[in-house]
Amino acid sequence: MRTQPFLKYWFDLFLILLVISLVNISAAQAGPREQAKRIHERLAGVPPSESVLTNMQSQVENGNAVNAAMLAMDNADFYNVTLKNFITPWTNEAETIFAPLNDYTATLIGMIRDDRDFREILSADVLYVGAASLGLPAYSNNNNTHYQALEDQRINLKDNLVAATQSAVTGLPAAATAGITTSRAAAQAFFIDGTNRAMFRFTFKNQLCTDLEPLKDITRSPDRIRQDVSRSPGGDSRIYLNNCIGCHAGMDPMTQAFAYYDFAHDVDADPDGNNGNLSYNNVGAVDPDTGSRVKKKYHINASNFKFGFISTDDRWDNYWRTGANANLGWSSSLSGSGEGAKSLGQELANSEAFASCQVKKVFKEICLRSAVDANDRAQLTAMVNSFKTNNYNLKQVFAETAVYCMGD
Amino acid sequence: MKVYGRYLSPFKLLSINKLLSIRKPLPIRKLLALFILGVLAGCSGGGAEVVPLPDVSTGTGSVPNYTGPPPASEDVQRFKLNVWDNLVADNRCGGCHIQGGQAPEFVRFDDINLAYAAANTIVNLNNPIESRMVQKVLEGHNCWLSSDQACADIIQGHISDWAGGALGGEANLVQLFPPVIREPGASKNFPLSSAGFAGSIYPILTTYCAQCHRETAVTPQSPHFASEDVEVAYLAAQSKIDLDVPANSRLVLRLRNEFHQCWDDCQANSNELETAITTLANGIALTELDPQLLPSKALTLFDGILANSGGRHETNVIAKWEFKAGQGSTAFDTSGINPAMDLTLNGDVSWVGGWGIQIKDGKAQASTSTSKKLHNLISGSGEFTLEAWVVPGNVTQEGPARIVSYSGGTDTRNFTLGQTLYNYDFLNRSSTTDVNGDPALSTDNAAQRLQPVLQHVALTYSPTTGRKIYVNGEFTGDLDTVEGGTLSDWDDSFAFVLGNEVSSDRLWQGILRMVAVHNRVLSDEQIVDNFKASVGEKFFLLFSVSDLINVTDAYVVFEASQFDSFSYLFNQPFFISLDPDAQVDGIDISGIRLGSNGRELAVGQAYKNVNKTVNDAEYNTVGGQSLSSLGTVINLEKGPENDEFFLTFEKIGQNTHRVVEPPPPPPPVAVDEPASSDVGLKTFEKIHATLSSITGVSMAQTDVNNTYQNVKQALPTVSDIETFVSAQQMAITQLSIEYCNALVNDPNLRQNFFPDFNFNGSVNDAFVMGDRRLITTPLYNKTMNSNVATQASIAEVELELNNLIDRLTSCNTNNSCAADRTETVVKATCAAAIGNAGMLIQ
Repeated sequence: MRTQPFLKYWFDLFLILLVISLVNISAAQAGPREQAKRIHERLAGVPPSESVLTNMQSQVENGNAVNAAMLAMDNADFYNVTLKNFITPWTNEAETIFAPLNDYTATLIGMIRDDRDFREILSADVLYVGAASLGLPAYSNNNNTHYQALEDQRINLKDNLVAATQSAVTGLPAAATAGITTSRAAAQAFFIDGTNRAMFRFTFKNQLCTDLEPLKDITRSPDRIRQDVSRSPGGDSRIYLNNCIGCHAGMDPMTQAFAYYDFAHDVDADPDGNNGNLSYNNVGAVDPDTGSRVKKKYHINASNFKFGFISTDDRWDNYWRTGANANLGWSSSLSGSGEGAKSLGQELANSEAFASCQVKKVFKEICLRSAVDANDRAQLTAMVNSFKTNNYNLKQVFAETAVYCMGD
Repeated sequence: MKVYGRYLSPFKLLSINKLLSIRKPLPIRKLLALFILGVLAGCSGGGAEVVPLPDVSTGTGSVPNYTGPPPASEDVQRFKLNVWDNLVADNRCGGCHIQGGQAPEFVRFDDINLAYAAANTIVNLNNPIESRMVQKVLEGHNCWLSSDQACADIIQGHISDWAGGALGGEANLVQLFPPVIREPGASKNFPLSSAGFAGSIYPILTTYCAQCHRETAVTPQSPHFASEDVEVAYLAAQSKIDLDVPANSRLVLRLRNEFHQCWDDCQANSNELETAITTLANGIALTELDPQLLPSKALTLFDGILANSGGRHETNVIAKWEFKAGQGSTAFDTSGINPAMDLTLNGDVSWVGGWGIQIKDGKAQASTSTSKKLHNLISGSGEFTLEAWVVPGNVTQEGPARIVSYSGGTDTRNFTLGQTLYNYDFLNRSSTTDVNGDPALSTDNAAQRLQPVLQHVALTYSPTTGRKIYVNGEFTGDLDTVEGGTLSDWDDSFAFVLGNEVSSDRLWQGILRMVAVHNRVLSDEQIVDNFKASVGEKFFLLFSVSDLINVTDAYVVFEASQFDSFSYLFNQPFFISLDPDAQVDGIDISGIRLGSNGRELAVGQAYKNVNKTVNDAEYNTVGGQSLSSLGTVINLEKGPENDEFFLTFEKIGQNTHRVVEPPPPPPPVAVDEPASSDVGLKTFEKIHATLSSITGVSMAQTDVNNTYQNVKQALPTVSDIETFVSAQQMAITQLSIEYCNALVNDPNLRQNFFPDFNFNGSVNDAFVMGDRRLITTPLYNKTMNSNVATQASIAEVELELNNLIDRLTSCNTNNSCAADRTETVVKATCAAAIGNAGMLIQ
């Protein structure tokens, strides 16, 4: 049966209850029970059961609101829904929230569940897969079927994600693994075609909370800007000297870390790479087009400026440690240089901007708004500090944020 | 084939044993000031007597019959063919420099061997552009065209042709010699205090630019020179301000020339900013170059040694435009092949610094009479090569947009080089095509060969290979599907045109920096060579560092050129001493920075990370030692005649200057933003999960999942409550109904949810007032939780649900109730309860 004939009644009712709800929310003084309910709804995305609500209420009443939040995060929907939708837009270039579950998303969900140091997301040899007992299609380097099945079958990710390593599952050399950077989903999104600069840009967007535009610093040395960057676009070098150089001077020497990576796929038959795989030039490999381990894509369009930099290895340098972008807060315990994606991931993840970004993202997700005043900013600062002292445990940030925004 | 003047890298050049004996010629532009003196010296064999200038324009172009002795050698014969034959006419040099005329008598027609001997005193076959004959004309000596440069180019070409044979086809050498020695000048620099800026420019920026160039703008655009923090704004604005020439400030030019977000009248706005910058600049005293720096000596671009030594294959060139004139409305054909196909610039066509023309809305066209040269010389050979250095203005023009065309209109042509988006198009009329040269040969779409950057494009056509396209020296691989044919159908009434169709309705926008037509097909290798020869005027700049390292005639040398109208290219620096006996082993050179007009440049320092030690293993007295293989582009400030360059070093020899980067500007002070709602919407999957959680129906249940997939993208995707629209309400309704349908249809689930409700009762029995709470109370508790003050109260919800039930259970003759009406009413009540705002708002 269908109840469409009653829709008009339903609409009336909806509007009435909407008004009532808004009036109540704004007028009512939130007590421990109301605060506990909001914490649960914000974290798990679903209403609590009576018993959980009562338990959480008790925790709040006893001044243990963070513990109440931890109870809410025991709900499977915190992982299956809240975290999945929190992470999914980071995994694709279109930043769509509707992208399917994939190894990038699942790995972060698993790392949060297991209280892993969140800095490892850009450097660790880590991968989370569905438990073998589920009988799902096995992880494949060439498709997303495994994770699609996890999602389609609404598998409880909290209970059924299993920690593994990329090196064991995908065969990528352990030294070449770099957290979600070397996940299949990230590779499909950001190593596909192009010049691998997308991986750099979207890592900054998603994990340091800044696009490249605000980072433009035209005073950095352009000595690592590749040949494919025109120094006079359309015959006007002012564009290069005032704009292009601002990003490329810092970006290109860091993106060199990805010089051995590509996403292999059939450009004609599979332009989106749904059946493609991460490709890595291991020690001893010689790319026929570059004569080194460097992928061909690093040498394309060389005649755009033949006196530009020619990549011969995956040495990266962070030119943004000086100049205006020193404000990103780079770790003084790291050198600012290295080889490959793993050490670059450590460089990025140990910055103040990384820690701050994670806290800001959680704040926006749970408080449903950005920080707007001094109180909010002080809370962000406090939570960044707490994040660091709690071994970069993101669940702690979720809990503290939910408590801050539980209402009063 | 002949190769003349092949360009060599700095590491293959120099004839050092001659260097010290060669005097530095005066810079070309400086020589213009000596115009009169030069004329006198040239015309009188070095005497000082003032004589009237000969008027070559009165010549008729007649060529004397040569009846003298035969050439004494093959070289004399080459001289005759390449130089004498081209200049002996009485409207060229033959008007004066003949026997009994003015010395040197290099076109005398009584004895070719004596003419040859005279010519040898005024040519430099190693570097034809340095020939006195060329320089003399360049100084203004009796050019038969309106451009001295064009005449000089033509004569240089003749000498180069001669040299190509005389030197056995070997490449010419560029000889380095000591430059002028000049100390870097003073300049104005920004003071530490922002007070001057705050009182002059800053108010304008914060008034008119803060909507974008501020960190807190809705879409912040860097640089943040309108920041609320004046210190941040001051630092951000410095790279956009020219204290020495305020009118050259980027802040001014952006308004004045590019009409960027003017707040009123662009000219007036730019004047306002220029005045403010001038006010700031007037308050800043000239500062000498920081004495802590380790500077080289200084040079302007034209203090350099011309590095263009040819290197192009032009044996069969029949028309060539290098666009060197830089002014006027004529682009000269400097091929030396008559008649000259000089191009008239029409419409919005401007000259580009460093040689070139930019077509914005116009064309450059030759007359039909001179264009006939192409028809005559190509239809005879049956093959040709069209070669061009182009910078397409964009990748959106099509038509094809005509880059180069020899045609009669939009649908009749002999040949055309065109652009369609990312592709080059080649149309050529032959016996196997139509009159429009169709079907066209185009580069592959996917390859995107055409890019809006400087590119070398060559088109070749021959009856045997058909059409071929080369981009940047590389054959594109696009095969001509049309067999080659003859060119006998070419129309000699067509005109040659650049940047448009002759009918002016196929505009191409972009820059042309060189165009040449050959009446032979260049080989793949020759095209590569011509690509490598590059384009534009290049110089070797020898920055003296002798006093820093105590080595005689020691230089850091850059190849430099004007890159476009706004910048210079500095390229591939190397260290060398012109003293072949100098001891250079062990000299450290690191941290090279480029300076201009008295200060180190802020942008383009591609050599600051150089860290080299000159050593005997890598150094040689011919090519020195490379310091970097990179090139960099730097801003043009006052123009190539006035911009004065120098280098600084962090370490050179035993001298060290430690560079300390200033600390980063402080982060901007955070500002409060408007308060936003404390509550928001659940998004799509949270709604899905919530409904599942309330009803106990699995999210994977088939009907539920199908409906969810259908409405998913219509559900809220962001939590902002202000984004809620009625379409989302409809989607929530559909999904709620589906959940309640599944709940009520499942006996176990509904038993658990409504344990005491009688689903088998009639409508009138089941919904008696006391039993309604068997439905409404579980719905309320599961959806909103009990005793939560921020939710609607159970009384409020029950009231509304009761009203709904009343309506739905009203069964009478006008509204018959089916047997399953009870379940239907429960489903509807359920949907109203679980799909309401209490569920949606979090």
